[in-house]
Amino acid sequence: MRSGDRMTQIFTPAADTWLRLFMVGGLALSSGGLVGLIGFAHSAYETSTDVRPHQPVPFSHKHHAGELGIDCRYCHTGAETSPQAGLPPTATCMTCHSQIWTNATMLAPIRKSLADDKPIIWTRVAKLPDYVFFRHDIHIAKGVGCETCHGRIDAMPLTYRAKAFTMEFCLDCHRDPVPHLRPKDHIADMTWQAGTDASASGEKITAHEGIRFGQLTHCYVCHR
Amino acid sequence: MRGDATRPNTPRGPALWSSVEELSGDPAFEAWVNAEYPAAATLGPTARRTFLKLMGASFALAGLTGCEKSPFVAALPYVEQPQGSTAGVPKYYATAVTLEGYAQPVIATVYSGRPTKLDGNPDHPMVQGRSDVFMQAAVLGLYDPDRAQAPTHRGEPVTWNDVQHQVELLRARWSQSEGEGLAMLLGHSTSPTLTRQIAALVTEFPKARIYEHAAIGDGRRPDLTTAAYGQPVQLHASFEDCDVVVSLDDDFLGVGPQQVANARAWSAARHRSADKPGLALYVAEAVPSATGAMAEARVAVDASRVWLMARGLAHACGVAGAEAADVSPAEQRWLERAADACRSARGRALVTSSHFGSDATASWVARTNALLGANALIGAAKPAPGAANAGALSELARDIGSGAVDTLVIIEANPAYTAPGELGFKDLLQKVRSSLHLGTHRDETGDLCEWQLPLTHALESWSDARSVDGTATIVQPTIAPFYDVRTVHQVMALLLGQLDPTPETLVRDTWRATLGDDFETKWTSCLRDGHVPEQKSPAPSIEAAATAVAPPFPDDGLDIVFRPDPTVWDGSFANNGWLQELPKPLTTLTWSNVVSISPALAKLKRLANGDHVKVTIRDRSITGPAWILPGQAANTVALSLGYGRSKAGRVGDGLGYNAYDVRPVDQPWQTRGSLHKLGTSETLAVTQLHHRMEGFDFVREVTAAEIGHQKAEAPQPSLYPAKPSAPNAWGMVIDLDSCIGCNACVAACTAENNVPVVGSAEVKVGREMHWLRIARYYTGEVEEPRSFFQPVPCMHCEQAPCEMGCPVHATTHSPEGVNQMVYNRCIGTRTCSSYCPYKVRRFNFFDYRLASDAPEHAAHNPDVTVRSRGVMEKCTYCTQRIEAAHVAADKENRPLRDGEIVTACQSACPTRAIVFGDINDPASDVSRLRRDGRHYVLLEEQGTRPRTTYLARWKSAEGQG
Repeated sequence: MRSGDRMTQIFTPAADTWLRLFMVGGLALSSGGLVGLIGFAHSAYETSTDVRPHQPVPFSHKHHAGELGIDCRYCHTGAETSPQAGLPPTATCMTCHSQIWTNATMLAPIRKSLADDKPIIWTRVAKLPDYVFFRHDIHIAKGVGCETCHGRIDAMPLTYRAKAFTMEFCLDCHRDPVPHLRPKDHIADMTWQAGTDASASGEKITAHEGIRFGQLTHCYVCHR
Repeated sequence: MRGDATRPNTPRGPALWSSVEELSGDPAFEAWVNAEYPAAATLGPTARRTFLKLMGASFALAGLTGCEKSPFVAALPYVEQPQGSTAGVPKYYATAVTLEGYAQPVIATVYSGRPTKLDGNPDHPMVQGRSDVFMQAAVLGLYDPDRAQAPTHRGEPVTWNDVQHQVELLRARWSQSEGEGLAMLLGHSTSPTLTRQIAALVTEFPKARIYEHAAIGDGRRPDLTTAAYGQPVQLHASFEDCDVVVSLDDDFLGVGPQQVANARAWSAARHRSADKPGLALYVAEAVPSATGAMAEARVAVDASRVWLMARGLAHACGVAGAEAADVSPAEQRWLERAADACRSARGRALVTSSHFGSDATASWVARTNALLGANALIGAAKPAPGAANAGALSELARDIGSGAVDTLVIIEANPAYTAPGELGFKDLLQKVRSSLHLGTHRDETGDLCEWQLPLTHALESWSDARSVDGTATIVQPTIAPFYDVRTVHQVMALLLGQLDPTPETLVRDTWRATLGDDFETKWTSCLRDGHVPEQKSPAPSIEAAATAVAPPFPDDGLDIVFRPDPTVWDGSFANNGWLQELPKPLTTLTWSNVVSISPALAKLKRLANGDHVKVTIRDRSITGPAWILPGQAANTVALSLGYGRSKAGRVGDGLGYNAYDVRPVDQPWQTRGSLHKLGTSETLAVTQLHHRMEGFDFVREVTAAEIGHQKAEAPQPSLYPAKPSAPNAWGMVIDLDSCIGCNACVAACTAENNVPVVGSAEVKVGREMHWLRIARYYTGEVEEPRSFFQPVPCMHCEQAPCEMGCPVHATTHSPEGVNQMVYNRCIGTRTCSSYCPYKVRRFNFFDYRLASDAPEHAAHNPDVTVRSRGVMEKCTYCTQRIEAAHVAADKENRPLRDGEIVTACQSACPTRAIVFGDINDPASDVSRLRRDGRHYVLLEEQGTRPRTTYLARWKSAEGQG
C-alpha cells in the first residue's frame, strides 16, 4: 500500500479544542452583545435622561415649583383638560415678571418675546416618539401624579428627563396601575409617597376610578 | 362567483360580474386579475437563496427600528394664548365651502389654528350632518401649493398697492364714461354680498355690462322650467314624502350641490319601515348613474329619445294630448310598470327630469306631475336673486369681437378653459385692452389676463352663500390667509373705490338689514349655527304650460351627452389629489376621463376598454380612451367635463381629454356627433379589478316576502379558541340598500386617516391606499345590468387570518375586537394581505409621504400616524375616535353611550348606510341591525366571524326590472 493512498489527516489534534472554543466564544460574544445592546438601549445616553438641553432662559423648576411652591397647573394649564399639558405662553411669565425682576438680563428673551409678539423657542425635554399618542388628561383624572413620569421636577435647577420614556416604562404601569396611583389631591404633589401598603391604597383608587383593567395594554390605546 | 341555490336561510346573492372583460372569459385576463396586485403577475420569480437572504436581513434590521433616539425638538408656546383655546384640543367652526357657487355647510375641525377635517353641519336643515366628496376634499384645496400666492401683472409678481393704483386709473376712466367698455364676467355664485356689490357697481357705472358663465351651473334648469311652467324656478323635490319616483334621465342621487339633500331624503323614504322597501324608483336613462343603480326598474334610453318616454309616460298616466310613443318592448314594459306605480300612488308619486335634458321632456313631466297631483312634492322656489340681466358667455364673445369691451373683470370663472371651443375665447381675451382675473389659482384664464388677483379659499374667507334649498350660511374664516390674498368682497370693494374695509365688515353690511334689531346677538348665533334664519319667500305657484316641441336634432349620428365629472366636477377640483384618486362611481376610474360608450356600440365599432376614439361634433373633435359602460343606451356617447387642463397645477395638468373643446354653444348638454376608432389604446387606472375576493354571494338581495322566513344560522365551528371580550365589542353594519356609491365615505376616510395619494401609475398596478373600497358589481346582461355598490372596509374578523399569518405579530386583536395594525413592528412581508380573504389591507410600496416642506402637511390629522415605506396599513375603525370617546367617558367615570363613537365613513355617509357601535349592547343601533332579516355576513363560509357585516339589498317582488 502506497503512502499516498492513506487518508490525509484533515484536522489537527487541536481542531476539536478550537471548535469548542469558537462555539463557546461565539455564544459568549453574541449573548454578551445582546446584553450590551439591551443595556445600551436602557442607558442614560440612549434614553437622554441625563441631558439638560440649552434653553433660551435658564428656567429653574426648583425655584418656581420647589421654593416658591407654584402649582404645576398654573403654567401647564392643559394637563387636566387636554392631551397636552402645554407650555405657558409668554403672558404667563409676565404675570409675575412684569412686577419682579423686571430688568434681569436673564429674562431679556421673555421681554423680547412679548415686545415682538414672537414665541420663545424652548427645547422640549419630555418628549415621546410621534407614534405614541399620550394624553395627560386621562392620566391625571385616574390618579397618575406628575411626579410619576416627570420625577422630582421641584428639585431640578435645570430641567432634564427624569425617567427613561421607554415602552417598558409605560407598560409597567399599564399592566398593573395599582401601586402607582395616588389620591386626587396629591396629583401635583412632588413629595407624595405611597404608604407602606401602596397596593391597598391603590386598590381603593382603582375601584373608585373604574380603571379598565386588561384593556390598557392593547396597541391602539397608545399607538394609531 | 355563482349564487348557491342550496343555501335557503340567508339572503341569497345573484351571479355577479364586475367588468366586461370578465364576461368574455379571456384566460390571460383571468391570470392578470388572479394576482393579488395585478402588476405582480408580470414580475419574475425570486430565487430561493435571494429570498432567504432578504428575509434574514430584514429580520435582523427589524429589531434596530426600536433604537431610534428621541431627539430634542423645539417647543413654541403662544405669546398670549387665545381665549378659549387649549393646546391639543380642536375647535369647531360652522362655515361653508362652495360647489358651483352653492353653499355646502360644514363644521370645520381646527387643530392649533389649522383646519384638518370638514363634515356636514348637523344643525343645517339641508345637509343635517352629512357630506359629499367635494365637502370632504375641500380642506386639501386650502393647502394646495399651486394656489396663486400674490397678485401678478403679466406674470410678474406685484403688490396690492400696485393693484390699487391700477384700479384708481380704471375707476377714473369709468367715471368719465359711466362704465362704458367695462364688462364683468361672473361664475355661478349665490353670495348675497357679491350680489350687493355687483349691484352697487352697476349703480355707480350704469353702462357696465354683467355676464355670467358657469360651465355647469344649474344646467338648463331656467330654460326648462320656463318651458314647463312659464317661469324660471328652482326645484327642490321632497323625496321624503314620495312612495314612487320616476326619473327621466335625472341623476338626482348623483354628484352635485343637490346630492346630499336628495340622498338623505331618498334614503329616509326608502327605509321608512324595517320590513319592506319604501320608496320605489323607476329610472329611464341614457348613461348609467347612481340613481339608475338604485332603481327598482331601469331602462336604457338614448338621450334623444328620453322625451318620447316622457310623452309615453304622460300617455300611460292619461295626460290629455299625449300620444303613445313608438317604443321598444323593454321600454314599453318599463313604461307600464312606472305608470302603474304612479297611478296607484297618486299624490305620493313624483316624476322628475334632468336639468340637462330637453324642453319637451320637462314639459311632459310637468303635465304628468300636475295630473298625478304631485305639484306639492316638487318644492318650487324662486331662484336666488343673482345679477340682474346678466348676459351669456356667447354674448360676451360677440361684444369683445365687436370691440365693445375695453376692460374685462373675470370673477371666479375660468372661461379660457371652460368656454366652448368654438368661441375661441383665448384669442378673444387678447383683444381686450385691460383684463383682471379674480380667482384662487393662476389658471388658464388667469394666465392670459393682464392682472391676476389671488383670492382666499373659502376656509380663509368672510363671505356668504346659499345652499340649494335657499338657506344662507355666513362663511367665516377658520384660518388667517397664509398667502398674500384677499377675499372676493375685498377686491370688489377695491373696484368700488372703498379703501381697505375689513373682510368681515363687508359681509356684516349685507346682513345688517336682514337681521334687523339686536344685530350683534343674531350675528353671533348665525355664525355659531352655520345658517341664517330667514323668512322664506312664498313658493311660486306652478302650473304646467302648454307642451313644447321636441328638440330639433339632426337624424344622423350618435347622441353625445356632456356630464360633470363625479370627482373633479367642472375641472375646478382638478388639482386636488384626494379627488383625482377617488374611483369614480360605476367606472371606478381614477386620474382621467373616458368616452363612455354602450356595449352595443363597442361591438359595432370593435372597441375594447381603453381604445382611443375620435369624437367629432360638427367640425371639432377630441380623442380619448373609450370605456364600455354596461347599461348605457346603445347610441349614446357620454363625455365628461373637467379634464384636459393645462394650468390647474402639478396634480391636475395634462390628465384626460378636454370635452369643452367640442361642446357646442347652443347645445351644451346634448348634441349629435360621430365616433371613430383610432388604432391606439391606453391602460386606464381603474380599480374595480383590484383587491378581488374569492367566493360567492358578495352582494345579496332579499324580497319582503322572504323576510321573517329565515332562521338565524349558528356560526360555523372554529378550531381557534374564542377570544374573551371587553365590555365593549365594536361592530359595523353596512346597508347595501342605502349605499349609492357616492364615495363620501372613502373621501372622509382619506381625510381622517392621513391616507396617502399614490398617483395614476401606482393605481394602475393596484397599489391605491384607500382603507375602504366601494366595490361595484353587476348582475344580468351587459346591455341592461343591475348594479350594486358594496363598501368594503376591514372586517375586523374575530378569527382573523391576517393575525395568524404575521411572522412578527404586527397585527393583533384588541379586547374590544378591533384588529390592530402596529406599524413599528411591521417588516413588510405582506403575508397578512395574502391571508386576508377580503383584501382590505394596503401596503406602502414606496414612501408616499409628502415632501417635508409641503403645505399639505397641515391637513394631516394629528391624531393619526403618517405611515412610511414598507408597512402595511388598513381600516382601524377610526381607533383615534374610539380612544377619544373612551377618555371622555372614563374622565366622567361612566360607560360609553351608543352613538358616542361615530367613524369618519359613518358620519360622512349621506344615506346613513354605515352604522357603527357596540354589539355587546343589545339595545344599540348596530345590534338591532344585526338582528334584521336582511343581515348577512360577507364570505361567511370562511369562518372568520367578521365584525363588519351587511344588510342585503331589497329586491322587488315582481322580479328584476
